[in-house]
This record gives sequence, C-alpha cells and structure tokens, in this order.
Amino acid sequence: MNPLLSIKNLSKVYPSGVRALNNVSLDVAHGEFLVIIGLSGSGKTTLLRCLNRLTDPGGGEIYFDGARADQLTGPALNDLRRRVAMIFQTFNLVPRRSVIANVLAGRLGHVSVWKSLLGLFSETDRALAQHYLELVGIGEKANSRADQLSGGQQQRVAIARALCQQPKLLLADEPVASLDPATAHVVMDYLRKANRELGITVICNLHFLSLVREYATRVVALRAGEIVFQGHPSEINEDWFKQIYGEAAREVHVR
Amino acid sequence: MSAKRIIFDSVLFLYTLVLLAYGSTQLAIAFAPAPAFGLSDLVIDQEFFVRRFPEVVTGVGVLWALAALLAAFAYKLNLLTTGEILFPNRQRRPPAEANPHFLRSFWGLHLLFLFLATLAMSLQVTEASFYELFDREGLSGAWRLWLGLTHPNFSLLAKAITEAIETILIAFLATVIAIPVAFFLAFFCAKNIMNNRVAFPFYVLLRVFMNVSRSVEPLIWALIFTVWVGVGPFAGMLALTIHSIASLAKYYSEILEGVADGPIDGIRSTGANAVQVVWFAIVPQIILPYIGMTIYRWDTNVRMATVIGLVGGGGIGTLLIQYQGQAMWPEVGCIILVIAVIVWLMDLASAYVREALK
Repeated sequence: MNPLLSIKNLSKVYPSGVRALNNVSLDVAHGEFLVIIGLSGSGKTTLLRCLNRLTDPGGGEIYFDGARADQLTGPALNDLRRRVAMIFQTFNLVPRRSVIANVLAGRLGHVSVWKSLLGLFSETDRALAQHYLELVGIGEKANSRADQLSGGQQQRVAIARALCQQPKLLLADEPVASLDPATAHVVMDYLRKANRELGITVICNLHFLSLVREYATRVVALRAGEIVFQGHPSEINEDWFKQIYGEAAREVHVR
Repeated sequence: MSAKRIIFDSVLFLYTLVLLAYGSTQLAIAFAPAPAFGLSDLVIDQEFFVRRFPEVVTGVGVLWALAALLAAFAYKLNLLTTGEILFPNRQRRPPAEANPHFLRSFWGLHLLFLFLATLAMSLQVTEASFYELFDREGLSGAWRLWLGLTHPNFSLLAKAITEAIETILIAFLATVIAIPVAFFLAFFCAKNIMNNRVAFPFYVLLRVFMNVSRSVEPLIWALIFTVWVGVGPFAGMLALTIHSIASLAKYYSEILEGVADGPIDGIRSTGANAVQVVWFAIVPQIILPYIGMTIYRWDTNVRMATVIGLVGGGGIGTLLIQYQGQAMWPEVGCIILVIAVIVWLMDLASAYVREALK
C-alpha cells in the first residue's frame, strides 16, 4: 500500500539564514502514530508547518494522499489544509468566541464562503461539531467562552476543531508542552483515540520520552534539521538518547 | 551605529548654539541698552528672524555644520552624549560604565541646560507677565464678563439645545460615514498584513497620505469646505469626516497590528480561505476594541464639531461665535453651559460604555 505521506529531500532556510530542515526524507503510512522528537530548534515545528504549508518549504517534495502537495496554491492549498488538520502548543483558539463556534470553524473548508460569513452552518455541521465536542468529553462547555477554559480543556476544543475537519492526517505541534503532566496524559489519550477509533494518522511533536514510549507506534528524531534516528520507541537507548539530545542531557520522567 | 548618534547630537548641538546666540544678545540688551551697544541691527530677536530670513537660514546651515563638527569631537572625546544614550554602542563602552547618575554625566547636564534655557525663552517670547495678569483695569473687565457668564440668559436655552443636537448629529454622521472607509483602509495600513513585497509600497503611500490628512486640523478642513459647499453644518460634517477617516484608520490599524497570530494560524490550518481567516480569526479579536475606539471618536467629534462651528461649520459653535461677536455675555454663558453639559454627558457615557466593553 502507498504511504499516506511521503517527504523527499525537504529543506527549509529561513530569511535569517537559519537552516531549519536539511534534506529530510520520510514516509508515513496510513494509521501510524508517528512521534517526532528533538531539541528545541531542531526543526520539528518547521517540519510540521511545512506539511500543511503554514510555512513554505524551500526545497524538496511532499506527496500527500498520492498527489504533490508542496506546490499547491489558492483553493487547492485550502483543500489540502482541510484534509491535514493541526493542533498547536498554544491551542490557537479564537478568544472571546464560544467553544462551539471554535469547533464549527473546523467546517470552514467544507462550506461555501458566503454561508460561513453569514453564520449559516447546516444542522448537520452543527450536530457534527457537538458530536466531536462530546467525543473529547467537554460537550457541556459548548456555550462557554473559549478563553475562559483551562489549558487542557482548550487543547481538547482544538482537537474537536481538528476532528471536525474530518481530516486524514492530524499534525500535533507539541500539544502538551504547556500543560501539567496529568492533563498531558488526558490530551494524549484523546489523540490516541482519534488515531485508533477514527483511523486518523497522527504526526506529533513531543518533548518527553516517557510520553513517546507510551503513545508512539514509530519515532523519528531530528537534530539540527536532519533525521538522526528512525525506529520503534523501545529502541531508544542511552546511546541514542545522547546522540539526539547531546552528551550532557539527562532524561526527565513524566508520569 | 555611530552615524545615527552623530546626526542626533548635531541637531541637539545646533539647537544649543542657536539658544546661546539668541540668549547672549537678549542678555546684552537687557543689561546694556541696544543703541549704546552700537550693534542694534545684530540683536537677535523675533524681528531679526523675519527681517533677515535668508541670512538666518544660511546661518543655521553654517551653525549645523559647526554642530556636526562638535558632535564628532564629542564622539572623539568619548563624552556620554544624549545621542549615545539613545543609540548605545556596546562595543565602545561596556554597559557597566554606561550609566552614571544623570547629573554627573554630559547628557544629563546638557539636557538640563537646554530645558532651562528653553523655559526662559518661552517665558520671554510668550510675554508672560504678572503685571498684566493682575492689572486693575483688565481684572475689572474680566470680572464683568464673568458676571455675565455666571448669570446666563436662559431665554436662549431652547435655541442652544436645538443647536447642540445639530452638533451631536454632525459628529454622529461624520463618525458613521468614516467607519466603513476606515475599516477598509485599516487593513492596508497594518504592517503585519501588508508585509509582502507587492503590498509594502501601498502601505507606505497610504500611511503618508493618512498622516498628512490627519495632521491637517479639522478646523482647516472646515475652512476649505465652507468655501466648497458653503457655510453650514454640511461643511462641518465633511471636515470631521475627513479627519475621522484618517484617525480611525490609524487607531484601527494599530489594533490590527496587535492581533495575536495564534488564532490566525488556527483558522488557516482548517483550510479557510483569506476572507474567512479575516472574518473568523481577526474580526473577533478586533471588534470590541474597534467599538470602544469608535465611541471615543464620536465623543471627540462632538467636541471638535463645537470648535468647527466657530469658523462656520454649523451647530452650537456657530451660535456661540454670533453672540460672542456682539459681546452678549449672559447669552454666551447659556450656550457655554449647554456645551459643558453635553461634553460632560458624552464623556461620561463613552467612558462607561468603553469600560463595559473591556
């Protein structure tokens, strides 16, 4: 079976001269829960943002679902983003709007522009938004203001918004980095639920190896914009750890 | 960057030299009568600036060159000038010795001198005088006027209120017309939106245009429009509209520049198009500050409409200038009372609404 996502020699140099990605090649199969690890500044976020083109790659090729994705513009690009959902470290909900309005935003790529501007979402769309909100366990918060929720709840709203897009691929950019350890597990459990029960392929950037070992089906490690390790999470031993994080690094455990 | 520092210092030194030249000749006439001084033609005062304007311009040019030399010299002497405080050079001077007490440093004493000298010059040029302030005849005239103002003629009340309502409506219409235009223009005046190479020249051009039309006071716009469409409320309304568009566009664009990027990324990542991103990610962030700013603008416009009335822009200001011209102080008192109450009420209401919107 063809991979869902295929990255070939992807590179990115920012205008400041920073080389964030250097010849990254990677295949992601249907149904994987792929975790990307690496130090801050190793290129994890850039890689993820290149995949839904919030950042434009500098060179290389991206194939998603059998079609070239790195050259798309206009409506075709919006269509790609509809199929590749994303959640962020800072949640990126729209403040001052209700939770359900934030989740409904996940339908923007599906509905006509004029109807969406007038707020004319169909009953099906509204039911879908409520359904995904209940799936992440906060159906009763539908009419609260998004910025009045706790961090963990906001990230669950963000997951509901992403699921509402009914994507094939879900990108999660350090989804638990600003949450406490207990809440982090709750959020990660919902991502695993989306992966296992809804069959959505997940690519997730993470900091803590204990989370990686628990959730990942495969691990890729980046260092200075290059892939230095690919394999099963159980294969990361002391030597690999030092190679990824540097000689002086020590592992932090999150329970 | 030492070039910035030397340019800035040269301007300060130029001002210092001009002050010294002005001050020394003023002191000379104060202590020795000008004719006895023998060089009355060379006394530098306001008349001198007018009479010898071309020479003054040349002189300032020469002084500036001298000031630039002084600035370069100060740089060589390693003096801690105001320019260096504003544009510090970390390589030249380690941060540890960059902060002496300002009264022990060159820049502190320099600015203190400039402040005191400018204060002295302002007192002299504005002809500030305790004698005039407490002159018996002047005081009694002011007292008569004050008595008139404090005994308002309330038979004019109905007329004054009618005109005040006209003023409020002038301000309201000017604000309402300005809102959609400013809303549209604001996107093109916001740096974070106009950040690509194609859009940037438009941004600069629009910013310049906005700054120019904003720096022309509504009073001047009113003068233009009274000639264009005739004296009356319409002219006043147009003047306020022009000024409001420029002001609101600036306020709005500053609010836009403060918009958080996170929600924009969030909405873009759902596959929304550009219009949807503006409507779903940007508008929810700006709408309340926009409303607050707009109400504040209406409030300001009411006050400005009053002033514009003085030059023929209609409303209560026009009524005021009519009675003031005839020195009918009790009637003027009534009008001023109405203006004060209206401005106070608008201020109160807009402050209350803006507080509630936070």
